[in-house]
Amino acid sequence: MSKFVSLVTLALAPALSALGQDPRQIILEVQKRQHSDSQRYEGTLEVTSQGNQVATKRWVYQRIGSFGNSKAILRFTAPAEVKGVGLLIVNHPDRASDQWMWRPAIGRDQRIALQDRSTRFFGTDFSFEDLEERDVDQYNYKLLADDGAMWKLESRPRKSSQYEYSYFWVKKDNYTFVKIEAYNKKGLVRTIDYKNYEQIKGIWTARLTEVYDVTRKSRTVLKYEKLEYNLPMKDDDFTLQALRRDL
Amino acid sequence: MILLRLISWPYARKHVLRCLLTTAGIVLGVGVFVGMRTANKSVLAAFNQTIDRIAGAAQLQITAGDAGFDEDVLDKIRELPEVRAAAPVIEATVGTGQNNLLILGVDMLGDRSIRNYDLEGTDEAGIGIDDPLVFLAQPDSLMVTKKFADERGLAVNSKLPMRTMQGDQVFTVRGIMKPGGLASAFGGDLAIMDIYAAQKMFGRGRKFDRIDIALEEGTPLENATAKLQALLGSGFQVEPPSSRGQQFESTSRMYALASNITSVFALFIGMFIIYNTFAIAVTERRAEIGILRALGATRGQIRTLFLAESAIAGLAGTCVGVLFGIAMARAMSGYIGGMLTEIYGVAQSPGDLTLDPWLIGTAVAMGLVTSLVAAVIPARSASRVDPVKALQKGGFQSLSEGENRARRRWAIVFGTASVAAFAFNRLWIMTYVGYVLAILAAVLLSPALSFWLSRALRPLLAGLRPVEGALAADSLIQAPRRTSGTIAALMLSLALVISLGGLARSSYDSLAEWMRIALNPDFFVTTAETLSSRSFVFPASLGDGLRAIDGVAEVQPVRSVRVMVKNAPIMVIAIDVSKVAKRVHLPPVEGDSDAMYRLAAEEKGVVVSANFARLHDAHMGEVLEIPAPDGILRLPIVGVVDDFSDQQGTLLINRGLFIRYWHDDSVNVFRIYIAPGADAAQVRQRILQAFGGQQRLFVLTNREVRDFITRLTDQWFGLTNVQTAVAVLVAILGIVNALTVSITDRRRELGVLQAVGGLRNQIRHTIWMEAIAIGIIGVTLGLALGAVQLFYSIEIARRDLVGISIGYAYPFQTALILIPVILGSALLAALGPAESAVRGSLIEALEYE
Repeated sequence: MSKFVSLVTLALAPALSALGQDPRQIILEVQKRQHSDSQRYEGTLEVTSQGNQVATKRWVYQRIGSFGNSKAILRFTAPAEVKGVGLLIVNHPDRASDQWMWRPAIGRDQRIALQDRSTRFFGTDFSFEDLEERDVDQYNYKLLADDGAMWKLESRPRKSSQYEYSYFWVKKDNYTFVKIEAYNKKGLVRTIDYKNYEQIKGIWTARLTEVYDVTRKSRTVLKYEKLEYNLPMKDDDFTLQALRRDL
Repeated sequence: MILLRLISWPYARKHVLRCLLTTAGIVLGVGVFVGMRTANKSVLAAFNQTIDRIAGAAQLQITAGDAGFDEDVLDKIRELPEVRAAAPVIEATVGTGQNNLLILGVDMLGDRSIRNYDLEGTDEAGIGIDDPLVFLAQPDSLMVTKKFADERGLAVNSKLPMRTMQGDQVFTVRGIMKPGGLASAFGGDLAIMDIYAAQKMFGRGRKFDRIDIALEEGTPLENATAKLQALLGSGFQVEPPSSRGQQFESTSRMYALASNITSVFALFIGMFIIYNTFAIAVTERRAEIGILRALGATRGQIRTLFLAESAIAGLAGTCVGVLFGIAMARAMSGYIGGMLTEIYGVAQSPGDLTLDPWLIGTAVAMGLVTSLVAAVIPARSASRVDPVKALQKGGFQSLSEGENRARRRWAIVFGTASVAAFAFNRLWIMTYVGYVLAILAAVLLSPALSFWLSRALRPLLAGLRPVEGALAADSLIQAPRRTSGTIAALMLSLALVISLGGLARSSYDSLAEWMRIALNPDFFVTTAETLSSRSFVFPASLGDGLRAIDGVAEVQPVRSVRVMVKNAPIMVIAIDVSKVAKRVHLPPVEGDSDAMYRLAAEEKGVVVSANFARLHDAHMGEVLEIPAPDGILRLPIVGVVDDFSDQQGTLLINRGLFIRYWHDDSVNVFRIYIAPGADAAQVRQRILQAFGGQQRLFVLTNREVRDFITRLTDQWFGLTNVQTAVAVLVAILGIVNALTVSITDRRRELGVLQAVGGLRNQIRHTIWMEAIAIGIIGVTLGLALGAVQLFYSIEIARRDLVGISIGYAYPFQTALILIPVILGSALLAALGPAESAVRGSLIEALEYE
């Protein structure tokens, strides 16, 4: 699974517990199986609005570090109007991540305030909060069902989040996520489906993620291309100065 | 009720025209009152509505005057646990060829926590722009309202050119907001853009105009306000959005007060028309009254009858007046909105009229009370009619010597009291008391003065036309009651015109003198065609570029911002005092010229304008507290000068102080002096060539700036044209009314004249000459009272309106125009009644009475 997806996953359903075995062990197992020191991929985003209008964008994603001690830079490459727009995410194990956006046409960066993390990420159906990692211990969780092939779990955040709780399904055979449903006070907010799993360098990786925004009735499909793990990367490439550099 | 039906109704039906003319006075009075107030309220309501709609869910707003503040304030605010959402905002008004467009720069990421953008062609959540990422990525992105788009034929991806600090830019419409809510702010002439793009486009650096705040649920507003104030310091204002409306209300207070005075004056004049009509009606109907009295009607019933007639006329006039006022407000609100935008640089665009039930109620009450008060004396006279004397003609119309003496005595008492009140005019109320007493004295004295003037005119009129002139003059001399109300109304109307004209002339004279001294640079380099717009600012570095232009001798940067001082939005003007003082020598009203400029240049004091000192009771030596983002700037007043830069007053400080306290070195205007011998046109061209293409920049000549200021003043006094028109209309109505009555009253006399061989033309000429005589007397008294009223108007303007000393300048030009206008109107007014007199039945006329 790509790091990006894992980030999303962790935000929505960061921790598993109380299984027949210890759910914390399950989530740690998920993390262990997905672990990589770095990741890079080229993503294609297709956002389909309620009126079936489709907007396509491409980005390059790079991440160094792993699980709460990571930094990531995401930079749009197409279409031309958005080329160079970037996002730097610095995750912390004990608190919310820091995020900065860079807009080359205006020539300035902008910190994404915590209060704005629930807003849509650049017109996709992800929110900024979905892009950050949170420690598993920031959630309470319980097992809801076990159908033999999958576990269905519920997680509730201990700290401030746009979500009240989430349901997610984990495949028992390879410890990968199949589906997530995220709820706020009013009800279901968004669903995420993980599809087209492949093993890349021994890591089960979804090649397609589909997010559905229940309120807006819009859909975002993210396809992962040229995905690679454990490439040599430098910390210096994950700073504000690096973010400000043009492609 | 029976008397009304049997007596009053037939009389009213017989005198439809007169009834209409009588109620016209109330119609005009109430109409002006409702019209001016409603227009004013509508503009204010539009402004409040704009604030309310733009504020969205914001419960508090953080500002530091209109200069803005550094971006880092936002991070501080977001740290507070009480703050649920904090959204920075930049507001700017730009001209787009048609209406002004209010551009709201917002943080597109988080602003939806505060404001709801309901966009066309989007899903039910209403948060879709065609592509939000493109909107953010491209600084030319704009969201406009449907109304704005429809008016200009714009659709998504349409282009909209605008002149910005980055030069001429073409913006792209990337979203269209549905009507209603935010989209209806500023009359729908609203556009949204990303705040960081707006900073660049408007040259604002890394500053925000304000931050809108929504609090966590359950947080008491007072607690959050106190905490935010403590966090930011006293240089910031932490207030609910509604406070901005209060500030604007305070800014437009002067205009509201001026319109109130005019409205009351219009009603006062209307009262005299009613008084006159009823006084005449009593005279005409004394036989009827005598019969009623003989049949047993009590004095109280007669009095009640006339008061009831007046109340009905008043109510009818009031109702029509309210409708007239609403129509007037509809026509005026756009004009007032535009004028206030230009003068105060505050954006508002009146949409629908705001009808205040209280205002309508007050207008109805005023109309009724005015009518009743006007009818009290005629009703009392009617109740005192002696049934025996009732059939005697003419005598009743003469004022008894006793009556005249009593009036003269009261006039002297009021006149003396008026002068005495002026001696105590340090108390503001005494000025108004003196003013009212002077008007009352003039009104009381007007019958006696009319009588004397009629007698003085008799030889002149008789000289012109021995028979007609003498008859006309005698008619006025013998029946002063018939015309005294008309003459009083005419006098008051013309006095109003003279005082308004005089105020305008005096203001223009004082303004011209100030412009001569203060606005002496050859050019003004500005960011807008108007000096009052402060939406855009220049970087300070432009000053160096301008200095390098061949032919430029000196460049003086000026920064002006409005800040709250003494609870009023006051203009702080930051200049390089030592440089400006070498070129501009405003004579001090208080303080020593050299010392005040020296101390201000050394940043040891502030020079304040005389209007600030007067309106806000500030004195030499007083330490002013000027809030700035870097804390409170405390400066003693070291000088007071006459300065017309802003109607609320100005504070002149040294530019260095401003830069330090506001962290802002931007510039609104560069004052440019060209080198001796340099060609002005060439220097201007060089400036435009060097910088015009790179940014929004206008080079205004000295003449253009003066013309702009004069045009603003014209707009301000343009409102007085309505009042002048009303005054002249009232005067004409009064004359028509008086002549109609005069002819009815003298039907027998005129019939006898015709019976003994008088020609129709002689009758006509008699009535024409009577009308002209009324006009001459009214004009004479009006021009004289106007001189007194002008004095009080200037005093009230100085004390309570603009606070600036303006010299007394009698408007001789206006007076000269008024003479032919009124005399011509009098003659025109006489044509109808004269024809009616000569075409009536001779037998009926002789049988009259």
